[in-house]
Amino acid sequence: MFRRMVLLAATLGCLVAPAWRTPARAAPARAADTVLHFRLGEDPETLYNIKSLSLTVNSVLGAYLLERLVYFDATGTPQPWLATGWTVSDDQKVVTFKLRSGVVFSDGTPFNAAAAKSQFDLVLDKANASPLLSRLGTLRKVEAPDPTTLVFSFSAPYAPFFANIAQAGFGFNSPTAIAKSGDQYGRNPVGTGPYMLKSWVPGTEITLVRNPHFQQFRGDALNKGAPYASQVVLTVISEEAVAQAALESGELTAANVAADAIDRMVQNPQFHTVINKVVTNLYFVEFNETHPPFNDPAMRQAVSFAINRDAVVKAAFNGYAHTANDPLANGIPGYDAAIGAKYGPTFDPAAAKALLAKAGWTPGPDGKLVKDGKAAMFSLKSYSGFEVVDRTLSVIQSNLADIGIGTKIETADWGSFYPSLLKPDWDIDLMRWTSSDPSILSLLFRSPGHRKATLENAAQDDILDRCNTLMDQKARTACVGEAQISLLQTATIAPVASDWVVIFTQANVKDYNLDFFNNLIPGDIQVAE
Amino acid sequence: MLRYTLRRILLTVPVIVGILLVTFAIKSLIPTDAVTAMFEGQVTEAEGQQAIANMRAKYGLDQPWYVQFGRYVEGLSHGDLGTSVRTTRPVLDEIGFRYLKTLQLTFTALGVALLVGVTSGIVAAYRKDSWLDVTATTISLFGISMPAFFFSLLVIMVFSVWLKWLPVMPRGWEALLLPAVTLGLIEAAPLARVTRSSMLEILGREYMRAARAKGVGEAALLLRHALPNALLAVATIVGLQIGHLLSGAFIIEVIFGWRGIGELAVRAIEWRDFAITQGIILIGSGTFVMLNLVIDLLYTWIDPRISYETA
Repeated sequence: MFRRMVLLAATLGCLVAPAWRTPARAAPARAADTVLHFRLGEDPETLYNIKSLSLTVNSVLGAYLLERLVYFDATGTPQPWLATGWTVSDDQKVVTFKLRSGVVFSDGTPFNAAAAKSQFDLVLDKANASPLLSRLGTLRKVEAPDPTTLVFSFSAPYAPFFANIAQAGFGFNSPTAIAKSGDQYGRNPVGTGPYMLKSWVPGTEITLVRNPHFQQFRGDALNKGAPYASQVVLTVISEEAVAQAALESGELTAANVAADAIDRMVQNPQFHTVINKVVTNLYFVEFNETHPPFNDPAMRQAVSFAINRDAVVKAAFNGYAHTANDPLANGIPGYDAAIGAKYGPTFDPAAAKALLAKAGWTPGPDGKLVKDGKAAMFSLKSYSGFEVVDRTLSVIQSNLADIGIGTKIETADWGSFYPSLLKPDWDIDLMRWTSSDPSILSLLFRSPGHRKATLENAAQDDILDRCNTLMDQKARTACVGEAQISLLQTATIAPVASDWVVIFTQANVKDYNLDFFNNLIPGDIQVAE
Repeated sequence: MLRYTLRRILLTVPVIVGILLVTFAIKSLIPTDAVTAMFEGQVTEAEGQQAIANMRAKYGLDQPWYVQFGRYVEGLSHGDLGTSVRTTRPVLDEIGFRYLKTLQLTFTALGVALLVGVTSGIVAAYRKDSWLDVTATTISLFGISMPAFFFSLLVIMVFSVWLKWLPVMPRGWEALLLPAVTLGLIEAAPLARVTRSSMLEILGREYMRAARAKGVGEAALLLRHALPNALLAVATIVGLQIGHLLSGAFIIEVIFGWRGIGELAVRAIEWRDFAITQGIILIGSGTFVMLNLVIDLLYTWIDPRISYETA
């Protein structure tokens, strides 16, 4: 029996052995050979931007690998990046860019107008089913009459164009590399960005190294030369608590942490805190307007008045967010605090109760409101897996209970939740959206709405449509203001809060800079010895 | 024995087909698929309808579930587990190396569980009611009750953040150490309890008293005479634990960033990527069935009185 047990141990040992043969952890990097370590919440399914709108995919491509025609400066104005400038035709249907010459992809092939055109052509080709297509609006064709001229022709003026092409989705890939890698290009991306892909261990980590051909053309970058850090390692860590532990142990250069942990981390001298309160996200409540009672604006208004946004910010975000009473987040061009202040909802349960009473709701025996023999009991849906969402739902549920409205919280993962909103059997939902352009308002709320639950409103639709055609910034801002007022007056949306970007970096990290859309400028980052 | 083994292997085929059939039927009840999950909210109907329809047709998602099932089984017959809609890579490529990593974690954890569980069970039985017994029993109760995700985070906090013995994001063999020990310790708890009770029963038998009376040493008494007889019960519980180890590995893999099939399964479910989830179910259930067969065969090795030929 002893021999048998030894055999058993040896068998187990053989199975375990491969793990013990793998190389040991690398020695810490020297300051002259700095390696930045960041976290990815999930492994990107691809690194081909025309195939995905995933925030993770775009965070990798947008910051490190790909560059665009324009970027937005600190004032929210487009500035030339791989372009040197542009002109807009009198009828505002043709935009002509002049491109920089001498720009080279990391595979050594040239970036020119033909390369840029091929990228847009791939998105425009409906056979590719690119999720970016809707971001090109009325664009009909792209021409490259010479290597430094790129001409965009639209069937109608399309105002969101500049904000949209400033996003990672429209970063340029090497056409040569696309042809070479075929359907595996998403595993071998090639761009003109500060870094290039060295290796990708699926599900584990992505290692990037300096692109030897890189030239910095962004006016908002502090470092105009090659990136300070020689490598960037992006490690997949799906658990928030593990990411926090890696940050505390010094293994991550920088990371965001769960809202509950922020206070403790802020006090820790091991870290610098980067807080950006100008953001592009918005948590909001919307309604199924296709059936009673939320086809009545007064009902929607009542719910909006009942929500205690300060309580949401405190309970769900630990104070690291701001209350929202405007349909646009404060980092989206067209945001106007004065509109929210004048037309936006305030926390006013008395006003909510008055609106409900006027709509015919009366208190029932159990305190819940009743109308036509039916109790005020509604579904409150959202997506699962996020503590802040769960807590926000709880606060809203409690607020609505205070005015006599009962709610049943229903959450499911995004893949189930979002399609379920196309069915008629829901009443209220809590949603979060991020955008770089005010066209988000028409994408979400132009009737019949993104979930086919918004009632037709010709006047509101006209405003939303018009805002997307005004190329003049001033005129567009005025139009977007009109749209926001209309959306607030019809209570199509009940804005709730916007969470801040809170990043902790190790104390020896300098110039962890974010651009207007909160994208990292990695070439600026320096790590002191 | 050979005939029994072959019969058991053949019997796994209807078991696996049954599992596949049930999962395909369940899948038909899920309102979304991988294409919907990928494009929902990103491509408007007018712009992407045709391309989405084309993609569904390409992956056969536009067919009734029983047609999809037939095609899947046909593909399986020549080793094709399908293609992931999300990553566009063959499922075998997605699962292959991850499966080996899951096996590596599972068997290392099993080694830890056997070492810790059986040893502490023997000690606890031999020193019944002593402080060693009370400690081992308490710790095993703790191990059985502790949720795997909480224990994992506790281990990271203690060994990586406070003591700094190991990195939170380890490389090489260090990457295996914490997840394997964590999973192993969790599974060691029931093993310790079974070993203890089984050893206590054996130690009270007449032949143990006879051996002691004949002057057999305590170590030999325990390891030569008692343990082999107690191992039958341990083997039974190990068979049951393989399922726990595989499912426990799912949670442990996600927390420790060990890129096995568990971590992939979680993502594939989020993506509604049925080709990957089906592949993982197939390989996971196949592994479970085959390992249980190995355990059954081990019975004859542990106790030569057991013979499947006469059964």
